[in-house]
Amino acid sequence: MTTPRTPPPLPAASPAIGPGSPQDVPPLPGSLPVDPASVPPPIREELLAPDPVALDTRASELKDGVNRCPKCGSSDVRLKIGSDVLVCRFCRNEWHGARVEEAFGFGEGIDQLRGDVIASGARDIDAGTSSLMTFKCTGCGAEVTVNTESTMTARCHWCRHVFGVNEQVRNGAVPDAVLPFRISKSDAVSRIRQFVDKRRLFALKAFKDEFTPENVIGVYLPYMIVDSHVSASVSGRGEILTREYTRGTEKNRKTYYDADVYAVERSVDFTVDDLPLESSAERRNLDTSANTNNIINTILPFDTQNALKWNASFLVGFTSEKRNLDVDALRPQLEDQLLSIARAQVERSVGRYDRGVRWERERLDVHGSRWVSMYLPVWLYSYHQPGRRGGMLHYIAVNGRTGETMGSVPVQKWKLLLAALTAGTVVEALAIWIVVAAL
Amino acid sequence: MSDDSGILFLLAAGPASATALYWGLYRYYRNTDKSHGFERETTVVAKPVTGSDNRVDTVTGTQERRIRGDNVRDYRRRVTRDG
Repeated sequence: MTTPRTPPPLPAASPAIGPGSPQDVPPLPGSLPVDPASVPPPIREELLAPDPVALDTRASELKDGVNRCPKCGSSDVRLKIGSDVLVCRFCRNEWHGARVEEAFGFGEGIDQLRGDVIASGARDIDAGTSSLMTFKCTGCGAEVTVNTESTMTARCHWCRHVFGVNEQVRNGAVPDAVLPFRISKSDAVSRIRQFVDKRRLFALKAFKDEFTPENVIGVYLPYMIVDSHVSASVSGRGEILTREYTRGTEKNRKTYYDADVYAVERSVDFTVDDLPLESSAERRNLDTSANTNNIINTILPFDTQNALKWNASFLVGFTSEKRNLDVDALRPQLEDQLLSIARAQVERSVGRYDRGVRWERERLDVHGSRWVSMYLPVWLYSYHQPGRRGGMLHYIAVNGRTGETMGSVPVQKWKLLLAALTAGTVVEALAIWIVVAAL
Repeated sequence: MSDDSGILFLLAAGPASATALYWGLYRYYRNTDKSHGFERETTVVAKPVTGSDNRVDTVTGTQERRIRGDNVRDYRRRVTRDG
């Protein structure tokens, strides 16, 4: 006979007390474990600082990735170029997206902004999230993967459902709003052709031989659109001319100036509405000796007040670039641009200084900013010019809304040099002829 | 002296015009000097500018046409930042 084997007794459960245990009553929202009045001022300021306000712009109705026609339920939906409407390719139903300006109150109350207001699509990028997103097709159950580095839509290869990335995962791919293309591809092609036709004589031969504007591609580029309420002040020296006179003999006359010197100070409070900042590190680099990103920068601004609530269907047939910069990374650039705007604002107030003003110090207080991430439409034609350090990628860019066109056309340097030397030689010959005649 | 500088000025016209033509055309093709004019093209609502102007000195007999370091239109050149 064997004795029944009983398992050893379980250890007695420890009482669920202590910090973080389920029996602890959680503190009231907003309450602090210490009295702020009892801590040093720097810590008190940090404790009492307001939390950044977030605006929730998520399109929860599109979370499953399938954007359906509200009339027939088809997922074959795309932008009708030339308008801001979506059209169902199955039943031809057309509908307009909601403008974020009205839906979320962007553009209102800028002078009341305090601290940072960051829309949910502009939140910091989580380094752990992947660019690759996988969906389970609601039509057939297959898995569909979308690489958000360059595209935001995909078609299920089994049942032909169209998917769009609509969920605001923290990889920077889904913005708060999108401004759809209004300029058609044929329009963009003719604008690029017109731009290049005016720059053919000294253009690189290989560029002219390979010029195919039909290869232009529509790209949605990521921007951060910022509203700001700021105070700025500048100080320096200004001079007003009091006397102008000449001295010296007939052949040695020189002009002299007397002036009063003033200490000048100016302050201005202002609000900025919809300042666009590139939110991709590569596009933000405007070093013209290394790239031609300044071309894309030049076609700003866009009519961002017409931006629509995010829907990936606007991106069907286009490529996109993903945001990879956070608000904090863009803040120095914002402040730099706000200071430049302040200097432009005070310029008219120093018109009396006819000998100019030398600003020596400047100050900026940003009271509040609102950050909204947005995809903006650009038609891009590119040409790679081989050369040292990887050569140069030349862009010709067309604003997908206004049609403003700017470009970098590679130059045949020897031809340009020859033309300049020829012109210089003619001018020099004339100069020598004048000198000889005078002697 | 003045005659010599006049002749030099005339003789410099050839190289100067060649350089100006080269850079003018280069910029027309490559547009390296272009960027977004956000100072003018952004919607800005400003309150009236305030400030002070105090005469602190005088300059006499200078040959410079403008104040040295004039940056009144050079909005993007940053100066010492106070805050």
